[in-house]
Amino acid sequence: MTDRGGRSRPLGRREFLRLGGFGACAALLGGCSDFTSHVVAGFTGAEGAAGDSVVFSFGPDDSGALSALIDKFNRTNRHGLRVIYREMPADTGQYFDKLRTQFQAGGGEIDVIGGDVIWPVQFAAQGWIEPLDDLLPEEDRAQFVDAAVEANLYRGSIYGVPLFTDAGMFYYRRDLLEKAGRSEPPGTWDEVIELSRRLVSEGQVPTGLLFQGAQYEGGVCNGCEFIWTAGGNILAPDDITEVVIDSPEARRGLATERRLVTSGAAPVAVAVYKEQETHTAFLGGRAAFCRNWPYMYGLVSDPAISSLKPDQVGVAPIPVGRKGQQSASALGGWNMFISTFSDKKEQAREFIRFMMDPENQLELSLKGGFLPVRKALYEEQKLLDKQPQIALARDIIDNAHPRPTHPFYSDMSLILAEGFNENLKGVETPARTVADLQEELQRIADIAAGVFDLGSEGRTG
Amino acid sequence: MSVVAERGVSVRRREALSRVRAEFSDPEKRTAYWMVAPVLVVVLAVAAWPVLYSIYLSFFRILVDQRAFVGLDNYVQMFTDSTFWRALLNTAVFTVVSVAIEFVLGLGIALVLNRGFRGQGGVRAIAIVPWAFPQVVAGIMWRLMYQEQVGFFAYWAQQLGLVSAPILTSDTTILVGAIIADVWKTTPFVALLLLAGLQTIPGDVYEAARVDGATRWQQFTRITLPLLKPAIMVALLFRTLDAWRIYDLFWVMSDRQLESLSTYVFSFVRLSQVNISVGNAAAVFVFVSSLVIAFAYVKVLGKRAQEA
Repeated sequence: MTDRGGRSRPLGRREFLRLGGFGACAALLGGCSDFTSHVVAGFTGAEGAAGDSVVFSFGPDDSGALSALIDKFNRTNRHGLRVIYREMPADTGQYFDKLRTQFQAGGGEIDVIGGDVIWPVQFAAQGWIEPLDDLLPEEDRAQFVDAAVEANLYRGSIYGVPLFTDAGMFYYRRDLLEKAGRSEPPGTWDEVIELSRRLVSEGQVPTGLLFQGAQYEGGVCNGCEFIWTAGGNILAPDDITEVVIDSPEARRGLATERRLVTSGAAPVAVAVYKEQETHTAFLGGRAAFCRNWPYMYGLVSDPAISSLKPDQVGVAPIPVGRKGQQSASALGGWNMFISTFSDKKEQAREFIRFMMDPENQLELSLKGGFLPVRKALYEEQKLLDKQPQIALARDIIDNAHPRPTHPFYSDMSLILAEGFNENLKGVETPARTVADLQEELQRIADIAAGVFDLGSEGRTG
Repeated sequence: MSVVAERGVSVRRREALSRVRAEFSDPEKRTAYWMVAPVLVVVLAVAAWPVLYSIYLSFFRILVDQRAFVGLDNYVQMFTDSTFWRALLNTAVFTVVSVAIEFVLGLGIALVLNRGFRGQGGVRAIAIVPWAFPQVVAGIMWRLMYQEQVGFFAYWAQQLGLVSAPILTSDTTILVGAIIADVWKTTPFVALLLLAGLQTIPGDVYEAARVDGATRWQQFTRITLPLLKPAIMVALLFRTLDAWRIYDLFWVMSDRQLESLSTYVFSFVRLSQVNISVGNAAAVFVFVSSLVIAFAYVKVLGKRAQEA
């Protein structure tokens, strides 16, 4: 024993080299990210030397409409200012996570952030983005879509300027309704169920309604619409510290969502459907009705994706629980914020002012097909001729509601997504779902009230 | 008695001391230690520090920029969270069932492959193909097969009446699907490890057994299994720990619906702002439970392997 312990095995050269090499590799890997960011910083620094530059982050610009406007700004602005477009992940959750990581680490180099409608309050509460009341003073707000402005309000101040908007729409098959002797689309969910069952039993179409029921952000939008169209809500409209989801109205809304499946109007698989599955099936002629975003209208005229013709498809507001109730659509859309950590806030403001300009807003919608945030553009004939879905969206955008504007919305969204999905699958009853959600959401609301010192100031009304 | 014992202790201590002195009095050895020291520091910094730091952090509540000591509160919250229990149950069922099936099938395949036949090399290469797939690719592939619009399995499961609802809409059927996908993917890995073990068993042992009149079954239970124990331990240990940490297959195949311990940690640490500290506690739980599993294997199988 002693012998073995006393004469310990000398460290072999090979082993030593192996260990050493491993350590060196680890050190190199660790240093790598620093290295790249320095190089990148060097490049942007060089660009800045020619004139002042502002970094603008946004998701992929598929239509090219955004890049065209940025080019125009770079050509025409009087101060030799340059905007550098930094492309971000297409997945909104990843983009959000990336920004959050940068902010937590003390900023990053982005000056203007193009962000989702559910972000401004989350960022504002943390102090990561600037108040922009000067860009959108109270007297100007009426020119913009109400819900889009509301989504950017935190404690009475504007933290983001709407760039374009989005809202849930109800698509229907015009030709099938005509065959069934109906000229009007269904206005209530009961009518949707009744018509679906009739059309399916007559063999006109394999299924009735499609919507996004999967456990993700889109499922939250759909679930909220069922609650809103039944007259319920998630948070109290004038006090974000109060959760009000445990109400007969909200329960009825979720019961309707479940009933669409149990009645056979919607397939059981909607519980895993996202936008992609929904539009594939609807455009393939496999459903009579479909809840989706405006983008789907653009796909109808594309024969590679759609077996339908534009005149077969109609668009209407989301149906309601009972006749006479107000329709409601979940608000989507993108906005511009200024990072608190930016040292070019004035230049950033100049760029945002340019993007807000009615003329440029028109160009953005003309080229990109986005729903405009300026109400006046919904009357602009040139735009309506080129992008017909904008005319169809005019009535819908008035009924748009932002999802809960709360500093911890991403936490609430995770819980809502799970709750709505379990209700839709029938794992939980609607009554149990709203009771559970009430408790879990209130816990988050209480934490936020403590952390951000909300309380009576939390009233945003 | 006690005097003897005490003397024993002091003798041992003196021995230990002299051993240390001997170790460091040799200048060559001293140099060696100095040269290894930086690596030791790196290893500690890379391996030990993050683990210790997250254990330390798990006793704090972290919220936005606030940090407060809360003792075991994060663990209490974790153990009272129904989602955690579901994640734990999913992970446990997945681990036990998939590893058991993979082991039995893998052993069978290894025994077949171990017999000499023509084209043995080719068959071995083909058998390993599923294992070569990246987990994410395999997950997407299987998701498509289970998907109700185009899926092959979805169609037949529906035709044969095995499922009443689309496979991907229920956690139970997704879990069964994940086990099937994992068995398909990692059985070859187990087979390969066991095959390597089988090939180390010398043929003359079997010859002697045959001469002594042992039956095939006796040969298998008395010779093959005991001599294969080291390989079995490696295979089971690898597979169990891998299954216990399952993340990618679950989330890719179920599109972020089926929770495992690792997905639970991810949702809480990366997606949530409120539950970061509970997620961190869960991460510590995953680490500690993996350690326990590893020790248990080494204790139970390792000892018997040595005895054999």
